[in-house]
Amino acid sequence: MKRYKPTPQAAAQIFGAAVLAFLVMPIFAVVPASVNEASFIKIPPETLSLKWYGAFLEDRGWMIALFNSLRVALLTTAIALFIGTLAALGVERLPKRARPFVIGAVLSPLIVPVIMISIALYYVTRSIGLYGTVPGLALGHALLCVPFVLLNVSVSLQRLDPNLARAASGLGARPTYVFRTVTLPAIWPGLASGGVFAFVLSFDEVVISLFIAGYSAKTLPVKLWEQIRVEFTPVAAVASTVILAFTVLLFIATRMSARKRTASSERSQ
Amino acid sequence: MTWAAPSRGFRGRDQRLGRAVMTFMLFLPALIFLGIWFVWPLGQLVVLSFQYDGGAFAAYHELLSSEVFRTVFVNTLKLATFVTIVCAILAYPAAWLLTRIKGFWFSVGLYCILVPFWISILVRTFSWMLLLERNGPVNNILMSIGITDQPLKLLFNDFGVYLGMVHVLLPYAVLPVYSSMLKVDHRLLQASDSLGAPGRTTFLKIFLPLTLPGVTAGATFVFLLSLGFFITPALLGGPHNLTAAMLIDSFVNERLVWPLAAAASVILLVIVLVVLAVTSRFVSLGSSVVVK
Repeated sequence: MKRYKPTPQAAAQIFGAAVLAFLVMPIFAVVPASVNEASFIKIPPETLSLKWYGAFLEDRGWMIALFNSLRVALLTTAIALFIGTLAALGVERLPKRARPFVIGAVLSPLIVPVIMISIALYYVTRSIGLYGTVPGLALGHALLCVPFVLLNVSVSLQRLDPNLARAASGLGARPTYVFRTVTLPAIWPGLASGGVFAFVLSFDEVVISLFIAGYSAKTLPVKLWEQIRVEFTPVAAVASTVILAFTVLLFIATRMSARKRTASSERSQ
Repeated sequence: MTWAAPSRGFRGRDQRLGRAVMTFMLFLPALIFLGIWFVWPLGQLVVLSFQYDGGAFAAYHELLSSEVFRTVFVNTLKLATFVTIVCAILAYPAAWLLTRIKGFWFSVGLYCILVPFWISILVRTFSWMLLLERNGPVNNILMSIGITDQPLKLLFNDFGVYLGMVHVLLPYAVLPVYSSMLKVDHRLLQASDSLGAPGRTTFLKIFLPLTLPGVTAGATFVFLLSLGFFITPALLGGPHNLTAAMLIDSFVNERLVWPLAAAASVILLVIVLVVLAVTSRFVSLGSSVVVK
């Protein structure tokens, strides 16, 4: 065993490790809170029980909210993938100098404070009948998701050799056929990661939802928000754990598929 | 190339036009979407901000002349500044640690940064509420090791807001710092070492200046995000922890004065744009975003 003298480096490393632990550890406090049997929240739990999960599943309000969240997230993903992918393909065709401006324009919804976007959408959705609807919410969430799809797809497009598409069309392939056989397989990883991130962003989103979900399209985060503003209940901890589980599972799935992809591309080289 | 001479110019222009039309068509969905769903609503809001009783700038005048509203904006700026400084200080050693570890522990470390990005801010904030509660685990630990006899008030005050905001925004600071550290050429550090410079000098004269753009980029992200933050201060703060975003919310949902809400959000946007304009003169924020 090598013995370490206390150096500034070692101190910085320990401090860094503490910061990293501080980043993750507190997030999971909702999990022990959700498995306590008593009707108040206790960490660590005294008697383990899944009874609040049962209560969550039997509660119509929570189930409707969960269902709304899933519908909104799926629709958001579809909208963001459509708009973001086409825009990324467009960016690829622009001269290099023009690209930053166009990308900047698509990314601009990320710069404007979300509270401003939220009240602006609240103001206009009421006049055009999209307030409190799933499509209205999905379009609102898509504002925040399109940029990530664009960035992810652009990254995979940059790795694609443009000569491949040229060769295909030179050999007589029609543009749609080139897209299906050359471009689409190449940008697939970008589509997948952009799409999953869009889904998670929408599934987690609170501020825009608070303003435009209304009563009829209330999502899980909105319901959770309303609940914890009044009191902390074990069911709220269950709902948080459900949101947490969804995101962590999707995160692990994307990491695994990314690892498999790099492994297989290393093999083929 | 002579064989295509007769029709080449004509067909070339035709193709270029076709190509331009195709490129435009690819952007069309994004244009329509951003036009209707982003530019138009924000435009409506800007128009609204000039439609307050008593003249075009009445809403702005009321916001800026009132002691109460000014305090809210000053508090928001103070909160953002504090959170930014703390995040930058915490992010630096964390990012440095990430550059020093490999293999399994590197994955663990990287996931510590990436997982929070994915997890709902609401859930993260709720977790803090449970931890900091009067009878929560933090108070229990503090009492059991004898730091305090009775539960401390950790929630619904400055402490809760500052802690929660730092926690929620810290990942945004770590990633740009980390990517700037990866770009540092290690031969420079070796050269400095071999020329006899003490570690501290190498750090202060070489490593720190080279990684400062990453710190600036990360700090800018944190500052801009915290300016408009709503969820965390609204849940962890007390009645006097009003931020600009909460003020806008109360204008819309409680007091129903849309022009004031619109004007307050325009002021917020102007601050954001000024900060962006200033920092983008020093660092390329775009390149730090793409790493994410």
